[in-house]
Amino acid sequence: MTHSFEKLLQQDAPPPPDAAARRVARQAALAEFARVQAEASSQSDASRWSMFQALLGALRLSSHTQRSDDMPWYSRRMLLGGAASVCLVVVGGALAWKTLRVNPSLADLSPAYETVSVPTKEVGDLPPPPPVEAPAPREQAANPLDEPSRRDAEEAAAQAEPRQEQSKKERGDGRVRVQIAPAAPAAQVPEKDADAEEVVVTGLRAQLQQSMEMKRDAVGVVDEIQSADIGSFPAPAGPAGKSMAGSRSRAFRGEPVLANVAPPAPPVPQEGYVGRDKFEHFDVSPVKRVSEEPVSTFSVDVDTASYSFVRRQLQAGVLPQKDAVRVEEMVNYFDYSWPAADSRAEPFKPTVVVSDSPWNRGRKLVTIGIKGYEIPRGEQPDANLVLLMDVSGSMSGADRLPLAVKSMELLLASLKPTDTVAIVVYAGAAGKVLDPTPVRDKEKILDALHSLQPGGSTAGAEGIELAYQLAESSFRKGGVNRVLLATDGDFNVGIDSTEELKGFVERQREKGIFLSVLGYGMGNYRDEMAQALAQNGNGVAAYIDSLNEARKVLVEQATGSLFTIAKDVKLQVEFNEATVSEYRLVGYETRALKREDFNNDAVDAGDVGAGHTVTAIYEITPVDSGASSVDPRRYGNVAKPDEASGKSSGLSSEYGFLKIRYKLPDGRESKLLEQPIGKAMPAASAAVKRDVQFSTAVAGFAQLLRGGQYTGKLRYDDVIEDADGALGGDRNGYRAEFVQLVRKARTAKGM
Amino acid sequence: MDERDLIRRAQAGDSTAFGELLDSHYDTIFRFAWRWSRHRANAEDIAQLACIKLANSLAQYRFEAAFATWLYRLVISCAQDWKRSQQRHEHDELFETAWLTDGSQTEDQIYLAQVLLELEDLGEGMKETALLVHAEGMSHAEAGAVLGVSESTISWRVHTIRRHLGKREARVNA
Repeated sequence: MTHSFEKLLQQDAPPPPDAAARRVARQAALAEFARVQAEASSQSDASRWSMFQALLGALRLSSHTQRSDDMPWYSRRMLLGGAASVCLVVVGGALAWKTLRVNPSLADLSPAYETVSVPTKEVGDLPPPPPVEAPAPREQAANPLDEPSRRDAEEAAAQAEPRQEQSKKERGDGRVRVQIAPAAPAAQVPEKDADAEEVVVTGLRAQLQQSMEMKRDAVGVVDEIQSADIGSFPAPAGPAGKSMAGSRSRAFRGEPVLANVAPPAPPVPQEGYVGRDKFEHFDVSPVKRVSEEPVSTFSVDVDTASYSFVRRQLQAGVLPQKDAVRVEEMVNYFDYSWPAADSRAEPFKPTVVVSDSPWNRGRKLVTIGIKGYEIPRGEQPDANLVLLMDVSGSMSGADRLPLAVKSMELLLASLKPTDTVAIVVYAGAAGKVLDPTPVRDKEKILDALHSLQPGGSTAGAEGIELAYQLAESSFRKGGVNRVLLATDGDFNVGIDSTEELKGFVERQREKGIFLSVLGYGMGNYRDEMAQALAQNGNGVAAYIDSLNEARKVLVEQATGSLFTIAKDVKLQVEFNEATVSEYRLVGYETRALKREDFNNDAVDAGDVGAGHTVTAIYEITPVDSGASSVDPRRYGNVAKPDEASGKSSGLSSEYGFLKIRYKLPDGRESKLLEQPIGKAMPAASAAVKRDVQFSTAVAGFAQLLRGGQYTGKLRYDDVIEDADGALGGDRNGYRAEFVQLVRKARTAKGM
Repeated sequence: MDERDLIRRAQAGDSTAFGELLDSHYDTIFRFAWRWSRHRANAEDIAQLACIKLANSLAQYRFEAAFATWLYRLVISCAQDWKRSQQRHEHDELFETAWLTDGSQTEDQIYLAQVLLELEDLGEGMKETALLVHAEGMSHAEAGAVLGVSESTISWRVHTIRRHLGKREARVNA
């Protein structure tokens, strides 16, 4: 059904053009053509400045067309080189001109040529102009020296124009155009070399900026995803020109201590990194007075990318930049034992726990936990999956093989014990890592998954054929039979040509075995095969940039059943002014919703998958605690507490009221869950208490990394102690790993 | 005659060559404009704008991309300009429906028009991606060249569009 749109589009037949309309359009275009030609012929009379502008315009236009992206690398360098040599020309020319005026007999150019190396330094990271470029500045710089060319610089520039004009006609390359552009300013300010330099450098910067923007545009939507992903983030570097090692040692010396966690300087753009690692800046949500803003609304967030990124940074011994730390994503990385819901119709029930705040004496924490309904095994179709994993060296990024392994773990969690999973790898050697194994033997599968190491450069043969053989050997009739190919775009899986591969996949599809392509490490993902698959609909091709996306793709699509249990999940808490004076939502800054959005079903919010837990923490200040951070208003609420308690004494036993809105996966209208937050909540189970303690420790750590604005005297050691005391079963070792991370952060801070 | 020669001659100011170039490409221009706007009169407007723009900017074509690629890009930018100008003039609701259909469409075409309208809201370039890939039969790389994005972005968009359609289908069925 989904593809009927594509089919209709393919068959879509526009009506034949109308002859009259065509004639009118032709005439209008020819008239315009004549006008343009007339203008072009008078252009030689136009002022040099407008010429300059036209050239800039042309440059800009070509950047719109992403020309530089289509260019091979060496021409791009030429462009930069050209720009750099422009600096040489301008400054060199001006200097030479000056030198000449002082000493006309000075004919040797080399001193002037040497001086001009200064501006090239100024542009720092640019590659030096290629040697071929050298004659160009020399030639131009020589102009003022030659007797016949001792006219003023304007004439020199004018002379250059025909050359440019000509080259423009015969597809001039970027170099010539760039070269000519600054000739005009040089001509206009022949004596102010300082100014000239300034002009050029600015132009160059602008161009760098422009090329960064072009790059950003080019990657477009994909990059937007990357901004939140756990991609390959370089360690934050110091000022331009410092080596990575230098900047790292700076972090170790402890200069950027907690007070300003992340090195303030934005990372220096490095090759291959332009446009990535940009985090949306957000301010920590502040303490709010209940009397002024009693209602807090936000969307759930099941993403966990921030944790992976922070982990990656800390493991490299570097504190992450503040904006990379999203508290809720750190907290939600872990699974908690909040009680699950009983039916699909009401897919979760909130767990609310009130505890003392470890961050500020007198304050309380309200922990709201949600666990999505877990679909009973019986309702799922049988699955026979073969994971075909790319383990080539390029898969080593955190957003590649580790994420692929993590997403496969996720998939495992949603499979039935009788479903089977097999693993095949390809890289240096294609090989079977695991025979079809029932999910019952989960440890065996996990061990096999965790044994995968990226390495090797050549793609091996037979990978895909082997995968299909395995799938066929454990074929489930009426079930899901699927090969899941996880790769960063290197599809060299043993069948060379795309056509051949397509045919192969198609034949297998007829047998009932499907192929899903899961792309990791976006940006590299350009391959004929993924395209062929996506285009022909033979399988699902998806890009996985985060665990959230992995869950969506793998769970919703790969197993063929819908595992999202609720969508557009929003939380709203109204605090009771009679009992709470202040509150602060920990994290979720980027997920804040307007109060009125809560009941508006058209406003999008996060989805919750089967068995997934979402946790939110409020820090509240009870009215009588004396722990308020904001002074009470002199004329505000004097009479109010009495009034409230007078009205209904029952309400004074509540801190607030929790409302959750969600839609069922196929629902259009939202449903509402409500629960009061009482001062004395029924005692939680030991497991829940332990998990509250752990989630609080994670939240505390995340806030410390963000600068510890609201965490009082909390230290890393406190976090370690709290987390250590709440490890619980910790089957996967995630919590123990967390404790190690806090230790790393402490070291990174202390040195 | 070789198209490159034709273009070179037109770039040099030969209006006969330019006329020939127009004649050989008007059908393509109109076809895409129609697919984009789903409306004959609007498509004619867009096509005319595109022809004029072609006269204006042919000099800037540098043979770096295929002429067809460059031309599609030009038509798309004209179509978008046209829509902006329309929105500036007409604020009433009539506009939406008026530009959806010109009364001659079949049910399928109305469905297509609706989905395409939704794709516009789904994100920048989504509608164009769908048109180029499915209607014009371009590869993801070619569509990427036209829209100035990478091939992977196109693949991603195609995937996103499918997801949208899936959700839409579920909604309609429910």
